[in-house]
Amino acid sequence: MSAREEALKVIESVLKSGRTALVEYEAKQVLKAYGLPVPNEKLAKTLDEALEYAEEIGYPVAMKLMSPQILHKSDAKVVMLNIKSPEELKQKWEEIHENARKYRPDAEILGVLIAPMLRPGREIIIGVTEDPQFGHAIMFGLGGIFVEVLKDVTFRIIPITEKDARKMITEIKGYPILAGARGEEPADIDAIVDMLLKVSQLVDELRDYIKEMDLNPVFVYEKGKGAVVVDARIIAKAPEEKKE
Amino acid sequence: MAEKIVEELKPFFEPKAVAIIGATDKKGKVGNVIFENFRMNKERGIFKGKIYPVNPKLDEIEGYKVYHDVKELPDDTDLAVIAIPAKFVPATMRDIAEKGIKAVIIITGGFGELGEEGKRMEQEILEIARANGIRVIGPNCVGVYVPDTGVDTVFLPEEKMDRPKSGPIAFVSQSGAFAAAMLDWAAGEDVGIGKMVSYGNKIDVDDADLMEYFIHDDEIKVVTFYIEGVKDGRKFMDAARKITKVKPVIALKSGRTEYGAKAASSHTGSLAGADTIYDAVFKQTGIIRAEDFEHMFDLAKAFAALGHKLPKGDRIGIITDGGGAGVMASDAVARFGLKMAELSDETIKFLKENFPPHAVAGNPTDVVGDTDAERYRIAIEAFTKDPNVDAIVIIVLFQVPLLEEEKIIEILADYQKKSDKPIVAVAMGGRKTDRYARMLEERGVPVYPTPERGVRAMAGLVRYAEYLRKVKGE
Repeated sequence: MSAREEALKVIESVLKSGRTALVEYEAKQVLKAYGLPVPNEKLAKTLDEALEYAEEIGYPVAMKLMSPQILHKSDAKVVMLNIKSPEELKQKWEEIHENARKYRPDAEILGVLIAPMLRPGREIIIGVTEDPQFGHAIMFGLGGIFVEVLKDVTFRIIPITEKDARKMITEIKGYPILAGARGEEPADIDAIVDMLLKVSQLVDELRDYIKEMDLNPVFVYEKGKGAVVVDARIIAKAPEEKKE
Repeated sequence: MAEKIVEELKPFFEPKAVAIIGATDKKGKVGNVIFENFRMNKERGIFKGKIYPVNPKLDEIEGYKVYHDVKELPDDTDLAVIAIPAKFVPATMRDIAEKGIKAVIIITGGFGELGEEGKRMEQEILEIARANGIRVIGPNCVGVYVPDTGVDTVFLPEEKMDRPKSGPIAFVSQSGAFAAAMLDWAAGEDVGIGKMVSYGNKIDVDDADLMEYFIHDDEIKVVTFYIEGVKDGRKFMDAARKITKVKPVIALKSGRTEYGAKAASSHTGSLAGADTIYDAVFKQTGIIRAEDFEHMFDLAKAFAALGHKLPKGDRIGIITDGGGAGVMASDAVARFGLKMAELSDETIKFLKENFPPHAVAGNPTDVVGDTDAERYRIAIEAFTKDPNVDAIVIIVLFQVPLLEEEKIIEILADYQKKSDKPIVAVAMGGRKTDRYARMLEERGVPVYPTPERGVRAMAGLVRYAEYLRKVKGE
């Protein structure tokens, strides 16, 4: 199956269920199809599955409850980090479901994502939005306050070239943080370039299906050590929004 | 394809015969001003085509036969300028189609900008145009101004609005008021405009069409756009990518509405205001974005004079006869992302040997307040020879007592001509300085009234040169 077909299968099944917002797990499936680096994580439908997956991945793990009604997971307290043992996992399984019910009693629960605990890296954000005149645009910036407060981001219209990607990275004000300021090792710029190009290709090929996208945060490690998408959101286009 | 657009748009700029629909003898009316523009330009020998006024109620204006109906027009009519009320325009378009006229400028307002009925009429006009191979500029615009061919549909009378001389700058504006003010201003500043197009609601001819046309227009060295919005983004980007490989395009984009904010379900959506998207579009297509009106003109002037010898790098050399101005220019070099050139040892040695002890050999080089033109010449000679200098900003405070004005002007013009490094001058001062600045510009040296503006204009040249190197390297 081509990357496009694989990604489309996920998006179409989401649309079929009457939703346009993909939950994190689904969004990551789409990204994975295009070779973007996502963690080795699994969606557990039952506690037994959760225990099994945690064993597979190896403790400590993170748990994130997946519900189409809960898009801001931290607000709903449905993210549990650094779970060290099966006992703790069992306890948190109850807690996470209880929090979800408290936050949105009607929340439909698709499962709980069991994910490895990731080593923190420098945080970046990659986004996509559709402009009415120029079509899809890709955004790049540093994560956290750089995007929230300083709005230190840059855009290009999709598709982009490798030169565009490199220019995007160097033109943000926060670039020295990636280049390695004050004795810090430089971040893996090539990995970011690769991600930007893959997102561009993904959206270019699926432009009739994707409305917007946030990979936020993405951890970028030291030069040569790669990067990983920690959280992701995709909003698909409702069938009536498609141009055809 | 390319030839097609040239053929289609040519009648707008050099018509054989223009019909002015709604021409009248009532002074001050739009149809009168436009007719008078053509009549006067004909009298002056600039407009070489024929003029056919159209008005059902008149037989003659100023000795010109008036046609009562579009259908009666002679067959050589290749441009129609429409200045009649909006509700009559669709029917007139049908007559134009029947007559076989292929270029139409609709000056009349009161269309899409007023609401649904106007939009419906625009649609009707467009359908007639498409079905008959007619190209339309407007509606709701001031149309076209071409000093070389005498085409002037700007309905603001010459007593109220000066017309600029001919030059290598094309100016395209969505807003008619802005276009008119700009022409007036250019005339006042003695800046030459080769072609002006104001397209108003741009139901047909748009930015992309004009960019395609200007690629092939050898008279035009730089194209300047005032844009409020673009309808077909892809077409715009394709045309922009093509033209910027051949000649510089400057855009002033207004309307910083954050329509992206309403789609704020993601971070990206909330940050993607129209403005950030245009920034991206300009970067990807090599269009140089002007921050404001002043910047737009500063850039246009720089490219008009120096487009043929862009800087090879971003290392700037500064020569000044005032220390403070040199510091301001150096600050501007940093602010606009350029570098101060590190002069070679030979340059420093040469300057020291030839300068009096109190002049400063360095970058900036300060020829100081007791300078004469010769001391400037020595400095310029050294800078143009120095391989570490890519471009030169020369600050001339004409006020200093020993500086022979004609001589320094001669020297700057001479080096501008013989050196392959671009030179811009900065002359700060009042009326007397202005007069010398004009003389310098006449001789091919663009002059700016402050160091910041001079350096910022140079930064535009540097960035465009970088873009060209980038696309040609691909």
